[in-house]
Amino acid sequence: MTMEPVERTELSILSEIGRISTSADDLHRKLQRIIEVVMRGIGKDGASVFLLDRSGKNVILEAAMGLNQEAVGKLTFPLGKGIAGWVAEQKVPLALADPYSDPRFQYVPETGIERFKSLVAAPIMDEDRCFGVIFVLSGQNWNATSSEVTILTTTANQISGVIRSTLLFQDIEDRLARLASIYEISMALTSTLDLNQLLSLIARNTTSSLRAQGCTIHLLDLPAGDGENRELRLTFIDDAVRDIDTVFGERMQTNTIRDKRPLLIADTSQDARVQDISNQHRVSILSVPLIFHDRVTGVITLYSTEQGQPFIDDDLQFLTTIASGAAVAVENAALFEREERMAGDARVRAQEFSILYDVGTAMSATLNLDRLLRIILTAATMGGTGLGFNRAILLLTNERTNILQGMMGVGPTSWDEASRAWTEVARKHKSLMEWIQTGELFESRDSEINEVARRIRMHMDPDEGVLARTVLEKRSFNVLDAASDPLVPKDLRDTLRVNSFATVPLVAKGRAIGAILVDNLFTRRPITDHDIRFLTMFAHQAALAIDNAVIHSNMETMNRDIRVIHEQLAQSEKMAALGTMMAEITHEIRNPLVSIGGFTRRLARKVTDPDAKKYIDIILSEVGRLEGIIHDNLAYIKNVGPQFSRTSLNNIVEEVLPVYEDELRQRGINIERDLSPEIGSLDMDPQQIKQAVVNLVANAMEAMENGGTLTVRTYPSADSRDAVMEIGDTGPGISPESMHNLFNPYYTTKVRGTGLGLPITHRIVKAHKGNIVFRNKETGGAVFTLRLPVPQEK
Amino acid sequence: MKKILVVDDEENICKLYREELEEMGYEVTTALDGGSAIAALEKARYDLVTLDMRMKGMDGIETLRKMKERDASLPVIISSAYEEYKNDFGSWASDAYIVKSADTAALRDTVKKILG
Repeated sequence: MTMEPVERTELSILSEIGRISTSADDLHRKLQRIIEVVMRGIGKDGASVFLLDRSGKNVILEAAMGLNQEAVGKLTFPLGKGIAGWVAEQKVPLALADPYSDPRFQYVPETGIERFKSLVAAPIMDEDRCFGVIFVLSGQNWNATSSEVTILTTTANQISGVIRSTLLFQDIEDRLARLASIYEISMALTSTLDLNQLLSLIARNTTSSLRAQGCTIHLLDLPAGDGENRELRLTFIDDAVRDIDTVFGERMQTNTIRDKRPLLIADTSQDARVQDISNQHRVSILSVPLIFHDRVTGVITLYSTEQGQPFIDDDLQFLTTIASGAAVAVENAALFEREERMAGDARVRAQEFSILYDVGTAMSATLNLDRLLRIILTAATMGGTGLGFNRAILLLTNERTNILQGMMGVGPTSWDEASRAWTEVARKHKSLMEWIQTGELFESRDSEINEVARRIRMHMDPDEGVLARTVLEKRSFNVLDAASDPLVPKDLRDTLRVNSFATVPLVAKGRAIGAILVDNLFTRRPITDHDIRFLTMFAHQAALAIDNAVIHSNMETMNRDIRVIHEQLAQSEKMAALGTMMAEITHEIRNPLVSIGGFTRRLARKVTDPDAKKYIDIILSEVGRLEGIIHDNLAYIKNVGPQFSRTSLNNIVEEVLPVYEDELRQRGINIERDLSPEIGSLDMDPQQIKQAVVNLVANAMEAMENGGTLTVRTYPSADSRDAVMEIGDTGPGISPESMHNLFNPYYTTKVRGTGLGLPITHRIVKAHKGNIVFRNKETGGAVFTLRLPVPQEK
Repeated sequence: MKKILVVDDEENICKLYREELEEMGYEVTTALDGGSAIAALEKARYDLVTLDMRMKGMDGIETLRKMKERDASLPVIISSAYEEYKNDFGSWASDAYIVKSADTAALRDTVKKILG
């Protein structure tokens, strides 16, 4: 059977295409070779292929013979426009002997189309789907025959197979490539926990995978811990798309966050959602939310400009996949960052506690108030292991006088001294304890700040300003601008020479006992809220230590007073013993003297011999001298009159009772006191009255051998002329035999002691123009009632 | 003749007081302790007693109390070597207090004042 030339041509073309389609060339190269075969087979001088782009809405020139190669990949017609667009849309072949007169033709310069006179076009069909259009072009006028059109159509069908398999292959390759890039991105996402680094990584990878021009990532408020509100927002913007992002970014984000859905805008110039803002730009945009646990944590947006390809659904799928991984990675990084931050906080906190511990240890090492204040202020001004303020002043309140007094100031006088001290601290790494033990951080006593501190003195009145208020309101103040602060008096500002300072109260057991003032005169470092919080903690500890030291100091004073009283008592006892001894001597010497002198006088009356008379006079004068000596001695020991001064009887009772507290407790004796403040102060010899009270208390104590209750009452007499003191016991009471002898100096029921206690008391009270009486109570026990006159005001 | 009882545990003092007071015209009896003094008062009536404060056995204060219990109107002069209690004699219910001295003028004056 012989073949027609056309059939032969068709067969050779088809077999050629078959060979090309199985070659290893890429699609573009295959199409180029195919159109060459077709052009030659049909015997014409030009050919081309348009393919639909990924969106399926445009045809684009993929391969050409006889046309300018620059147009390849660029020349494009929307579906329905131009011959290529029309054929692709109508899916029918078209032969035009004179295309230039056809209304469907669109002339595009610089393509080289004007070199051709006629053309035939056929759609490249795969079933109902159109892949593109194949053209054969003729430089000569050409009225194509139906068989030539058929050859082209058949060839186009054959090409569709090539394209389909290539596209399938490409699709698989693309998918593999995307899987690979998803894998790569996933790996990258787990490679870092640095949030900024992570954002940059996500942006670069997605931009390159989607052949986009740039990417922005906006994170919303980062995930935060319990009760923690973090305002931080992180943004990553590629410089290449910064301008575009300025136009579209916010709109895209708002929509994406609101809808919680990915958003694809293939062409901003064609899209109603952004048309109001997009007149100058033709951009393709992909915007995908980062969703973690159903919460939008951020938005990732990719831009493809006019130079690139518009995004398609596949890209959206891809980005959504990436975004879901990225959301987790971002969350992890944010959590990690927070952990880091918390760990950092914990480190700071631990350091603070370590400082407080050091300071606490140092403070507990002394009860000496002066030394304690120095430790506190040194800690406040020490860098490194201390609080690190430049200068610190400590003020204490005097509750009795209601005055706030600057006690001590510590800090360098000049920049030189400051930097020298701080450098030394940093260099030696000494602990606070060591500093305290080895010497002072700054020159102390004569320092300027110490003088400044000691000059500060004010009434605790809110009108006195910030320092008084710190104590009265028990709160801290951070004065940022002293000049404009109405709470800062001018003299304080002038003394301190600093415009910013802070004050915290010293509160111990709920009482404000003073305040600490700190400033940064030299470094000018602003005092932060955190500084104040830490200083407050420190001040709390310092206040307790000061309170302890003050209590201790009071106890020392009290102990000293008790010692003095003890000594005085011992002295009194000695005097009493001496008195007793003198009384003995008096008795033993006076009686013989009376005899010697008395009989000598009688002798003198009977003697007439002048010599004997002279001797008798000598004896009598010597006896008189001896009697005088005895008299003078006794007067000295016993008859020293009271030294009056205005004194509170209650105070004397309060001084005496502690002396016996231990002994009373040991004997199982309770003290009940009821001291009326109404009795006021009296004219008395405090030492003698103290002696009287001591004697009565001792007497009551010794009456209660088996324990009991000692009562001490003071009150004004009914006519207010006397102050009355009652000292009662719950002992056996005073026996009838003893009653008459109670104030007899030589009567005693006591096993030990001089027995002079009550007589001496009696004498003292008499000397004060008062009186003392006693009675037995109906309920048992004795009560001594002592009355001293209240001074009558003139 | 008015009768005076002199009570003192010093024998020489008793002797001195007796001679001085007899010279003044009084009848004098002496007692060396509180017990014999009370016994003497039981035997005879006296117009005046001089009484030492500090004596062995019953002391002056106790003796004074007993004397006053017997007869509160009997005047008693305390005659003591102690001068520091001379302001307190009122509380002990005696009528006078003299400090013993070689110069017996105080004794004589006080007795004269009481007995006239």
